[in-house]
Amino acid sequence: MSPSLEVEGLRTEFGLRDRVLRVVDDVSFTVEPGQALAIVGESGSGKSVAMRSVMRLLPKTGRIAGGQARLGGTDLLALSERQMRKVRGRDIGMVFQNAMEALNPTLTLERQLTEHLKWHGICDHAEAKRRAVETLGDVGIPEPEKRIRTYPFQLSGGMRQRAMIAMAMVTQPSVLIADEPTTAVDVTVQRQLLDLLAELKARGTGIIMITHDLGVARYFCDDAMVMYAGRVVEHGPIRRLLSRPAHPYTTGLFESTLEVGARQRALLPIPGSPPDLAYRPTGCAFHPRCGRAEERCGREEQPLLPWPGHGEVDLLHAGAGPERNAERREVACWKAVEHG
Amino acid sequence: MSFMTYLGKRVMRMVLSLTAVSMITFTLLQLAPGNFADIQRISAGAAQFGGSGTEDMVHAFASRYGDDIPAWRQYLIFMKGAVTWDFGPSYKYPTQDVQDIIAQGFPISATIALIAVALSLLIAIPIGVYAAVRQNSPADHGTMFLITLGTALPNYLTGVILVLFFTLTLGVLPSSGWAGPHYMIMPVLALVLGPTAVLARYVRSSMLETLREEYVVAALAKGGPRSTVIMRHALRNSLIPIVTVLGPLLASLMTGTVFVEALFRIPGLGLYFAQAAASRDMPLLMGTALFFALILMTMNLIVDLVYGYLDPRIRAAGGVSRWRRSQKSPLRQPA
Repeated sequence: MSPSLEVEGLRTEFGLRDRVLRVVDDVSFTVEPGQALAIVGESGSGKSVAMRSVMRLLPKTGRIAGGQARLGGTDLLALSERQMRKVRGRDIGMVFQNAMEALNPTLTLERQLTEHLKWHGICDHAEAKRRAVETLGDVGIPEPEKRIRTYPFQLSGGMRQRAMIAMAMVTQPSVLIADEPTTAVDVTVQRQLLDLLAELKARGTGIIMITHDLGVARYFCDDAMVMYAGRVVEHGPIRRLLSRPAHPYTTGLFESTLEVGARQRALLPIPGSPPDLAYRPTGCAFHPRCGRAEERCGREEQPLLPWPGHGEVDLLHAGAGPERNAERREVACWKAVEHG
Repeated sequence: MSFMTYLGKRVMRMVLSLTAVSMITFTLLQLAPGNFADIQRISAGAAQFGGSGTEDMVHAFASRYGDDIPAWRQYLIFMKGAVTWDFGPSYKYPTQDVQDIIAQGFPISATIALIAVALSLLIAIPIGVYAAVRQNSPADHGTMFLITLGTALPNYLTGVILVLFFTLTLGVLPSSGWAGPHYMIMPVLALVLGPTAVLARYVRSSMLETLREEYVVAALAKGGPRSTVIMRHALRNSLIPIVTVLGPLLASLMTGTVFVEALFRIPGLGLYFAQAAASRDMPLLMGTALFFALILMTMNLIVDLVYGYLDPRIRAAGGVSRWRRSQKSPLRQPA
C-alpha cells in the first residue's frame, strides 16, 4: 500500500527587495493512494508554488515559512536536501505543462527516462532501459524500443507529452504531481492523456492535478481545491462542488468556463483580475471582484469553514447513504456558510 | 538533405565569398594613397640607396605585374595564380612567394592561438558556471569584476607586464624571439586574458539562461543531484551559443595578433599582414587577406558542424541557418 500525502498549513513566502510576499498561505489537503485532487485557480493563485514547495524546488527567493508535508508519515519539509533528493522523482513524480520545455532538447529519451532510475539506485542501465521501453509502451508510444533512441523534437506534441508522463512514471512514484499536463496539447490528445492519468490512478497512484480547466478536473479527479490569492477558498468532493459551488469565486470560475457538449449558458467572465499579492485586499481577497460582497467582506478575514450544504441537491449521489454526507466541504466565505 | 550536399553547398558559398573578398580588398588597396614603389622610395629612399636602389625593386615586381598595366589586369593576373594557390612573390620580400610566407607564419600564429583559446576555455567555463550558479553572490560579483578588468586590459599591455615580471624581475623567460617551447609561454599568457574574459561572460549569461529552463527544474524534480543536473542538462545546452563566439575568436587569433607578435618578435602571420598593408605590398596583402577569409569561413563551417553535434535539432534540420529559419516560420513551429 503506497503512502498518502498529507499537506498541512503550508506557507510559502517570496522575499522581494524590501518585503515578503506570502504566496501560499495555510494550504492543507490530503491525497490518498488511488485518489486524485484537482487544484484549481487562475494563474498567480499559488497553485504551482504550493506544489513546488512540496517538492522543495522553489526558486532562490522562495522560502517555506511553515507547515508540514507528510508522505507516509515523513515530513518532507523537515528533510535534508540530500534526503529530499531521494524523494523527488522516486516517491513523488512530476509532470509539466509543456513537454517541449520540460524535456531536454539535446538528450535522447533513453538518457532522460533512465537517468533517475540510476540516480536512485533502483537498477542498472540495462534494466532501466528495459523499464523505460516498457513504460513508453504503456503510455501508448508505438515502437518504443525505436523511439527511445530519438530526441524530444523528433516526436509529435502528443507523443512528447506522453514521453514526459512516462519519464515521471518509470520510477513508479506513489504520488504524481501534474502541473497543467493537458493545457499545451490538442483536445484529442488531451483526452488520451487524461485516460492515461486515470489509469495510473486506478493502479493506486495518488494524483495532484494543477489546472484551471474544470472540465479536465472533473474527468477523473475526486476532490477539488480552489485557490485564490494564495489561499484555499473552497475544498471538497469535485462532483458536489461542481453541482453546487459554494464560494462566489468558484461560481465565477464555472460561469466563465466554456463547456463542450452541455447546453451553453451565458459566459460570465469574472470582472477584474487577481490581486497583486503585494497589495492584498483586506478581509476576503476576492471581495473587490465579488458581486455579492458586503461591507463585512472587506473587514473580516475569511477562514476555511465547514459548509453545511445549503440547497445542495446531490443528484449524482442522491440516496447514496450517510457516508456521502460525511464528505467534508469547506468554504472560506461567511455568506456561503450562513446563507448558502 | 545529405551531409555531402550540405557540405558542397557550403563550399560553393565559400568560393563566392572569397571572390568577393578578393575584389573588395583589391579595390581598397587601389583606393589607398600611395603605391609600393612610392612608399619604398620614401621609407628606404634616397638616403640609403642613393636614389637608384628603388629601381631594382620596381623591376622585381614589374616582372610579374608591371607598373604600367591597368589595375584590373593586375587583379586578373593575381587571381589566376591564386586559384592554384600561387600568389607569386611578395614585393617586399621578392625572393619569397607569398604562399611560402603564409606556410611559415601560419603554423606559428595558429599554435599560439590554439593553445591560448584552449587555455581560455579551460579557465572560462568553470569560472562562468561558478558565477552563474552563485548568481548575485559576492563570489559572482567578484569574478565578474575581474572579468571586466580582463576585458579592459589590452593584450600588448599584459605582454609588457609579463616581460617586466618574468624577464626583467625573475629572469626566467626570454623576452622575445621564437626558438623553443618556452618562447611561447608569455605570448600565450598575454593572449589568454582577453578571450578568457569574453568567454567567461558568455558562459555565465548562457548558463543563467539555461538554468531557468524548465528541463533543469524537471531534472531536479527527478531527484538529480544539483551538480549532475548542471553538468549534464545545463552545461551542454549553454555551450551551444559559446561555440558561435569561439569560431571567429579562434580565426582572428590564428591569423595572427599583430601587437603580441610584434612585441615578442614572433615571425607569425600577423606581422606580415600588418607590414603588407603598410607598404602596399599587393600580393602579400591579397594573399594573407584571402587566407584570413578562408580561415574564418572554415572556422564558421566547423562551428556549424560542432553545433550539429551539440544540438540534435540542428543536425536534423541540416545546418544552423536552416534550423533558425524553421524556428521562425510559424507554420513549422512545433506544438
